[in-house]
Amino acid sequence: MRRRTLLQASLVQTALLGLVKPVSALAAYPIKAFSTREIPAALGELLGSSDTIDSDLIDIQAPPIARDARVVPVRISSGHDNTESISLVVERNPAPFTAYFRLYESQNYVSTRIRLNESSDLLVVVKADGQLYASRRRVRVGLSSCEA
Amino acid sequence: MKRSIKIRALLIDKMVTVKCIISHPMENGKSRAGNTGKRIRPHYIREVIATRNNRVVMEAFWGASISKNPYLSFEIPGKKGDLISISWLDNKGASDSASIRVA
Repeated sequence: MRRRTLLQASLVQTALLGLVKPVSALAAYPIKAFSTREIPAALGELLGSSDTIDSDLIDIQAPPIARDARVVPVRISSGHDNTESISLVVERNPAPFTAYFRLYESQNYVSTRIRLNESSDLLVVVKADGQLYASRRRVRVGLSSCEA
Repeated sequence: MKRSIKIRALLIDKMVTVKCIISHPMENGKSRAGNTGKRIRPHYIREVIATRNNRVVMEAFWGASISKNPYLSFEIPGKKGDLISISWLDNKGASDSASIRVA
């Protein structure tokens, strides 16, 4: 009931602004991929496979030592042509799969801020021309910032 | 409802850099309330959709490891006057959207 009210409120709001509420072209939210500890299973559910090729064309910018483990900026650029999606996995988090970005135009860049449970490799998987490419970057969590 | 999304769009050489900040607690279900010690239930944004002139250009699925008050930035091809919209949906069914014209 509450949900319906919110939905209606939001529809009214978008109608007032003259906007069309976008409908997701993606499948339903992949709850399993976001709750499992098994990284290959999560990649398999979202990307159809967990077989990746190591790539040096993926640029991951993140601080080597995080000042605040609750807010770690990450910037990802893919140098692969026809990049379809960018996935971000925090390998040591209890639920490692963190974000999946589906890109529909000639795009190759996303940036966000994430929470780290402890020092971890960030794994980025780029899907381009049907192939999965992977790259990693280590982020250390300082002693002073471990109360996340 | 108070608007939850701050959005900026900057045009540089036919590419639009979109930056936004969403006000949202992004509770991962692991923290406890300071006064009672009770676990706070998970409450996080699961989907973000970005459109340019009402066409979807980016869709994201998020887990609860995205920081509180999420920041999101991306680049898309575009031009002056394009209408960029961002909308989000969380695990409790709440949602919001905001738009901006590329200046």
